[in-house]
Amino acid sequence: MMELRGLSKSYDGRSAIADLSLRVEDDEYLTLLGPSGSGKTTLLRLVAGLDLPEHGRISLNGQDITALPTYRRGLGFVQQNYALFPHMSVADNIAFGLRNRVESPVSDEQEVERRVAAMMDLVGLQGLGNRMVGQISGGQKQRVSLARTLITEPKVCLLDEPLGALDANLRERMTVELRNIRQSLGVTFFHVTGNESEALAMGDRMIVLDEGRAIQVAPPDEIFDRPATVRVAKFVNSYNILEGGVTDGVFVCGDLRLPVPDGGADTRYIAVRYDTPSFEAEGTDGAAGQAGLTATFLTSEFMGSRVVYFFRSEAGTVFEVERHLSRSDPETFTGGDRKRLGWPVSETLFFDGNGDRLVVTHARGAA
Amino acid sequence: MHRLTSLRWILAFYTALFIIFLYGPFVVMAILSFQQGPEGGPQFPIIEWSTFWYKHVLGFAPPSRIAPLPIGEALTRSLTLAFATMVVSTLLGTLTAQAFRTRFKGSGVVFYLVVLGMMVPGVLLGLGMALVADQFGIQRTWWGTAFVLHVVYTYPFAFLVMLAIFNRFDRSIEEASWALGVPPGRTFRKVTFPMIFPGVLSAMLFALTLSYDEFPRTLFTGGNQVTMPIAIYGTFAVEIHPNLFAFGVLTTLFSFALLVVYGTLMSLSIRRARARVSGIQEDVT
Repeated sequence: MMELRGLSKSYDGRSAIADLSLRVEDDEYLTLLGPSGSGKTTLLRLVAGLDLPEHGRISLNGQDITALPTYRRGLGFVQQNYALFPHMSVADNIAFGLRNRVESPVSDEQEVERRVAAMMDLVGLQGLGNRMVGQISGGQKQRVSLARTLITEPKVCLLDEPLGALDANLRERMTVELRNIRQSLGVTFFHVTGNESEALAMGDRMIVLDEGRAIQVAPPDEIFDRPATVRVAKFVNSYNILEGGVTDGVFVCGDLRLPVPDGGADTRYIAVRYDTPSFEAEGTDGAAGQAGLTATFLTSEFMGSRVVYFFRSEAGTVFEVERHLSRSDPETFTGGDRKRLGWPVSETLFFDGNGDRLVVTHARGAA
Repeated sequence: MHRLTSLRWILAFYTALFIIFLYGPFVVMAILSFQQGPEGGPQFPIIEWSTFWYKHVLGFAPPSRIAPLPIGEALTRSLTLAFATMVVSTLLGTLTAQAFRTRFKGSGVVFYLVVLGMMVPGVLLGLGMALVADQFGIQRTWWGTAFVLHVVYTYPFAFLVMLAIFNRFDRSIEEASWALGVPPGRTFRKVTFPMIFPGVLSAMLFALTLSYDEFPRTLFTGGNQVTMPIAIYGTFAVEIHPNLFAFGVLTTLFSFALLVVYGTLMSLSIRRARARVSGIQEDVT
């Protein structure tokens, strides 16, 4: 178990990590989602010992490792750009840690060979051991980088945007493989990414990092369904966010009026998930417990299994609606069409002026 | 299209001129080195083609009124000096460049202090060193005072070469090694050094050649046991014979031979790496 307590780090007076505390459990897949500039690379460098924190402690299985140099930490670090040793073959890259590490190096060459072969089987590099690293593809480099780290049996394996440089096809395959590899070794993966779908898909638990702070730590489905703050809702990239204020019990946002349930008096933001609105004819008045807005159709995008429609709402902002083709056939609109988009109030989220989600109670039987 | 061809002609002419100026002197020297001897002088026309001057340089020619080139000991001295300078300057240059990878306090001042060594005119530096040596009663020798100046002169070159190499060096590769549990010293030996080795080679070559034909600094500080360039300069004072040209051709051929060996070794290692890969591919299919 790794524990970070009160970590802070700033560069030239600009805070990169601010009072961050976190527990990383044994044998889990932890993903960290952060937009660029949120401090995720800094955090990894602090944990790996490549930078020193100004405040705070890092402990690993009860031992304080805050001041320990990188090579004594027993952590693995898979870098974004792979950082393979270009003057060595694939097999020598993988064996490098075993042969040269300061703590319990393996000097028996047969043992090294056996373990390298087993690791190459695990990550799918069979038969490539003698290639130089300049002669393999990007996906294979990624595997070498992973194998090189995993063979040293790190207590926690840090992965810095490991899928970032792969093409979409390969990324999907590696997503599954990373999870399988992790499970078969029982090692903890701490996977850092700026891609929300990657973070949601891969983690047992997920952290959302914003401006150097962990703003939500929860299982991915909870983060997706109930983002703790409006920033989290923004990062998961699946919500229309309307900004306004409540006057006389009604949420006002431009020309738009939306009902607010009990407990929502402080509402500043309303978040409507892309897949909740349904199309209704213009002029339809919502039933009780329904909310909606009238919007002008702009364009649509066909994404294979789903279609995304873009509207301009009365509030003047772009409003996205997503339709899965497994649930309904696509509808065709022409630009300028006016449509009413309706949704149950109980399926929207309300946030106050600080961005925190409000706990609201919906009138029974409303939906 | 017409303008393009005329531009092409201009460029071709320019290139030809460049090549003539670059290799012309050497070609003339090579031709004159086959002048008849010992009467033939360093000028055209060629009286008769002969290899007399080559024999003269190598000591096979019958004794004549022309003294043999005083190159034996001077050559050994120059090579020893160049080799020692190369080792020391490359070592210093690499270490300094390594230090410059992290911005330390006063790095700007240190940078200019180091680079000053190649900026200061050689004559001034040589003269100054000679005065200082006399003041302190230090004897001027090629392996002492001159050696120090050779290092002062070539160290900035080695440093700048290595600085450029480290500038392009991807630090994350070293970090990867540390994260695998390998301490910094071992990481330098196993990862950093093999990767910067081509750069170290060029730094060595720089230091070697600069020191080998260094003149003004050595002239004032080398003492009475002279190095090669000073010895050759000394022969100018009397009379120039084509034996100098023959010697020039021989040293140039020697350099070419070294380059050919180097090139052959490189292409061999590349071919071996390729053979290894294609061998693997055959195994797979």
